[in-house]
Order: sequence, then C-alpha cells, then structure tokens
Amino acid sequence: MSQSLRKWIRLFLAGPGAVFVSLVIMGGMPLWLPRGAAGVDNLVLPLILVPLIWAALFFHACLDRRLARVAIVAGVLFLVHGGLIAHKFSEPRPAAKESGQ
Amino acid sequence: MIHLKKDQTKLMIAVHGWAGIMLGLLLYAVVFTGMAAVFAEEIGSWSSGHVESRSAFERPIDSAVRRLAAQTPPKYHEGVDLFEVGDHNLGVFFHRHETDPDGTFVSRGLYYRLNREGTIANTQFGTGEEVFGANNDDALSHFLVDTHVRLHVPNPWGLLLTGIVGLVMLVAAISGLLIHRHLLKDIFTLRRNANPVLVDRDRHSVAGSWSLPFAFILAFTGSFFSFFGTIGVPIVAMAAFGGDIQALNDTVFGNPGRPDPRPAVIGNLDRIAADAIARSKEVPTFVSIENFGRADAKVTSFHPPRDGDIEPVTLLYDGAKGRFIQTKPSIGTQPSTGGTLAAIMAPLHFGNFAGLLSKAVWFALGFAMCYVTITGMRLWLARRGETARSLEWLDRTVAVVAFGLPLALVAAAAGFLVTMPLGSATFWTPTAFLIASAVVSVAGFSLRSAMLAPLLQLATGLLMMALPTVRLAMGGPGWPTAIEAGQPVIAALDLAFVLGGICMIRQGAKARRARTPAAPLSTPVAIA
Repeated sequence: MSQSLRKWIRLFLAGPGAVFVSLVIMGGMPLWLPRGAAGVDNLVLPLILVPLIWAALFFHACLDRRLARVAIVAGVLFLVHGGLIAHKFSEPRPAAKESGQ
Repeated sequence: MIHLKKDQTKLMIAVHGWAGIMLGLLLYAVVFTGMAAVFAEEIGSWSSGHVESRSAFERPIDSAVRRLAAQTPPKYHEGVDLFEVGDHNLGVFFHRHETDPDGTFVSRGLYYRLNREGTIANTQFGTGEEVFGANNDDALSHFLVDTHVRLHVPNPWGLLLTGIVGLVMLVAAISGLLIHRHLLKDIFTLRRNANPVLVDRDRHSVAGSWSLPFAFILAFTGSFFSFFGTIGVPIVAMAAFGGDIQALNDTVFGNPGRPDPRPAVIGNLDRIAADAIARSKEVPTFVSIENFGRADAKVTSFHPPRDGDIEPVTLLYDGAKGRFIQTKPSIGTQPSTGGTLAAIMAPLHFGNFAGLLSKAVWFALGFAMCYVTITGMRLWLARRGETARSLEWLDRTVAVVAFGLPLALVAAAAGFLVTMPLGSATFWTPTAFLIASAVVSVAGFSLRSAMLAPLLQLATGLLMMALPTVRLAMGGPGWPTAIEAGQPVIAALDLAFVLGGICMIRQGAKARRARTPAAPLSTPVAIA
C-alpha cells in the first residue's frame, strides 16, 4: 500500500470514521451498560462519554503505527454496537418502553 | 510522561497546530465570551441596576401562581416552570410537551413575566426556546451567553458548531500534553530576554500547561452540553425507546409514580419554597411542577450545591399535599454513577459551585485559555515566516479578532447601558456589537497589525473606563444605594471595569512604544 493511500485511510479513520463510530457506540451502549442503582446509568453515561470516546478513537487513529489495528478496533466497535442496535430494532416491542431491559 | 517517537511527536505538533489554526478564532470567541459569561448574573445586576437582593422565592408567590393557573387553559397545566427573571421577579411558564411535525420535541405554552407586585408584566405564547429570549433588562447578559453557547447561529447548527469547537479544544489540550517532552521543566521556563518568538513560545507553553486540566474539563463539559440535546438525546432515545424522547426524559428526569389524574388543589407554594430554602440553605434556582392541579402533582426545587460540595441539591415535594418527599439526585430517583457525573457537568463548566471565588478562578483560567489560543496562532504563523506574505491576511485577522472582540463586547455593554432606559436594549445591544465589529474590521484592512493591536487596546481601555460613568449617567444606582441594597457587586464591577481599562491602556501604550508585533512574521524560528 502506498504511503499516500495509507495517509488518506488514516485521515478517514481519524476524521469521519471516528465521528461515525463514536455515534454508533453511543447508540449501542445503552443496550449493554448496566442500568445502575437509579436505572439511568445506561442512558446517561453514553451521553457523557461520547466526547471522550471520539477523542480516544481520533488519537488512536493518529498514533497507532499499525493501520490495520486501527481499522480492526474501529470496525469491531462499529460491528458490535451496530449489531446490538440492529438486533434491538428487529425485536417487536411496545412503543415508549425501554428495550433490552 | 508520555514519550512519543519523533515522527509521532511531529504528527502531534501538526495536529495541535492545525486544530488551533482551523478553528482557533472561533474557539477564542467561544472561550472569551464564556469567560465573561461566568459572571453573567453579576453583569446582569450591574448593567440593569438591580437592587433587589431578596429572591422571588423568598416573597409570596402562591396566590400569583394560582391566579395565573385559573386563566391558563388546563391543557398547559402538564408542567409549570418557576424561575427568576430581571430584578428577582418571577417568571412562570405553563406548558405541555409536544412533538412538532418535523419531529422536534418541544415544550409549548404560556409564559408570564410578573413584576415586583406579582401582577403580569408580560404574557407570551410559544415554545420554551421562543419565550426564554432576551428581555430589555437582561439583553446584555443574554447576548453574552448566546454568543458563548451558539455564536448566534440558529439551533441546532449553533450548538453543533460550538460542540465541534469543544472537540477541537479537547484535541488541542491532549495533543498539547503529548508534545511536551519535559512537562515539569517547561511549566517553569520563561526566558524573558530571548528572541521575541521564543518569549512568546515560553509564555504559551507555561500558560497552556498550567491551564491544561482546566482546558480539558471545559472542552469535555462544553462539548457534552452542545451535543447533549442536538445529537445525544435523539440517538439514545432511538436506541433505547424507539425514538420516544419524552419517554427518555421521563426516565432520566421524571419522578416515577402511578398516574392519578383526579383533580386536586395544589399545595401551598409559599410553604414549599420556605421549606426548600430551610432544608438546602439556598434559594431555588428553578422550581418545576409536574401535573399542576392533579392528585399526582410533584414539585421539584433545584438549588446550588451546599458549602464544600459540587453537586447541586434537588428536593422533591408531593404537589397536592405540599409535603416533602425526599432529597433526590438531579438525575434519577436515587444516587448513581451516571446521575452524579451528569449533575456535576454544569458546575464544572460554569464554575459556580463555590460562589464568587470559584467564578473568579474560572474567569482567570478562561483568560489564560484565550491567551494560549491567540499566542498559539501567532506561533503557528511565526513558524511559517518564510511564507509570511501569503499568510499576512491571517496575521491581520488574528489581530482583528483578538483585540476587536473585547472592544466589540465593551461597545455592546455601552450600547445596552444607553438604550436600556429607553426600552430598546434588545435591539441595540447586538447592533452596537455589530457596529463596533464593522469599525474594527475596516481598521483591520486599513492599518498594519502592529499599529492595529495597540489602537484597539487603547480604545477598549478607554471605553471600559467610561462604562461606570455611562451607567450612572443613565440613571443606574450609585455605590451607596447599591451597597445599602445588598448589591456590592455593582460597585465591584465598576471598579473592575476601571482597573481593567487602565491595564488595557497601559498594555496598548506599551505595545505602541514597542511598535513591533508580538510575533513578527518576518522572524522565522524553529519552535519545536
């Protein structure tokens, strides 16, 4: 792979890729995070943590020398959380009821 | 210390520089107005001459709210928000939650603004966003906050823009930490007699390093607030509640219980307010009533944190019986990790958890951040000295924004002070800002940046020194009146403006004597 292509892939993973994956993670986190004592942790923590998740993905994409590892980490996070969201939507459930709880 | 390899350090320097150069000026505008907005409440009292020191919640409100409820259609009794407006007067918003045809979740209803006697001064129908706009007597503080929160760009784009600016600040803060090879040494290194660019680099490095934790906190909490309602809530509601935002709000902020729609007279609000003040030792910042006039009505009062604490206090009352139920977390029904973290985001961002002391610290650290942003941009320009001619426009723009924004804000304050007694401050406050910005921009095109900066500093200093006189000339309260009424902040801000003005004039005169820019583009120096 040419240096130029590697640079563009890294730029994609650090830029739009990190934004997109962090949004999907935010959507998927409520479905696996513990609800906590008040029953709100799974809803509130993704909202709080999303800037840090984005920053972690951004700096990982910038600093990890192995581009494949950056792509794998982002891809796995995307697939796991995207899969959880897809699974939830495939289940019939009453409106206005929190799913997966 | 984190030790990066040479190429990684080089990349981080590039990320740090480009993050600043791409959105540095917007970041400066957001942080500078945020720094001023830390004292928005005090600036509001100072500019409007508010001399009432007793909260609206310490005066009788019960009969006024009942009277308003009787004249408001019952469909808007779903929620009632009570809060202070103007000179400790009461604002009451009867509303219900609706979803607009475009899917936007809104609170819509009737907003009453009461005067000191408890009679209606103003009535307005609309959504929460529409009715909580600027008023004649809070136009200045409102202008400051609105500039900080969304740069006057309509929602959701304004919030998204400031959210992106917050993320850029996060990147700049983290990359700034990573590129320091000797952090402990760097934070104490100030070479006063070195090359001007190295002097600037040292100052940037020292100010940036000391305020690094603050920059991280501000960027993190700021982007949280910007993205919370615009992106976060819709996505989490979609994932957990099939897109039902009301259900998410009820779960996170609501008070669960069996619905009981039977009519019931609301408990005595004066007794509830007095009890809440006695329990929390602070007057409420906000009171919310759910299901007004029903047997399942709940009253929630929100208070500042207690001494030595950072988490705000929230008290829950049975609305129909007027009986205290529990001290609850701001979020959720019992303490939890997520609820506590969410509750401390606001105090951490606004710096209002320990009164004026914490506000003063936040103001000073905000000033340091502004300094770091501008010196960082100048250093970036200085490093590219060879291409100085092609970047001259940017150097000029940095000077215009760095020194023009304070002047425009002071002009907005002067515009407010002159027009508030005439009742046209909501128009003239932003207009004065725009006129001053236009004048500064024209001066930026006409003058060299080496001349421009001292000139703008002198103008800002003179105008700052004139503000107390303008305030008094337009009928504002004098120091004895203000101090006697328990508002020493009016005199304190007068003094602060005069002292700030003197400092600006001295800085301007010093720069004028030197007649050289802080970071001359003609001096190429390797920074890193």
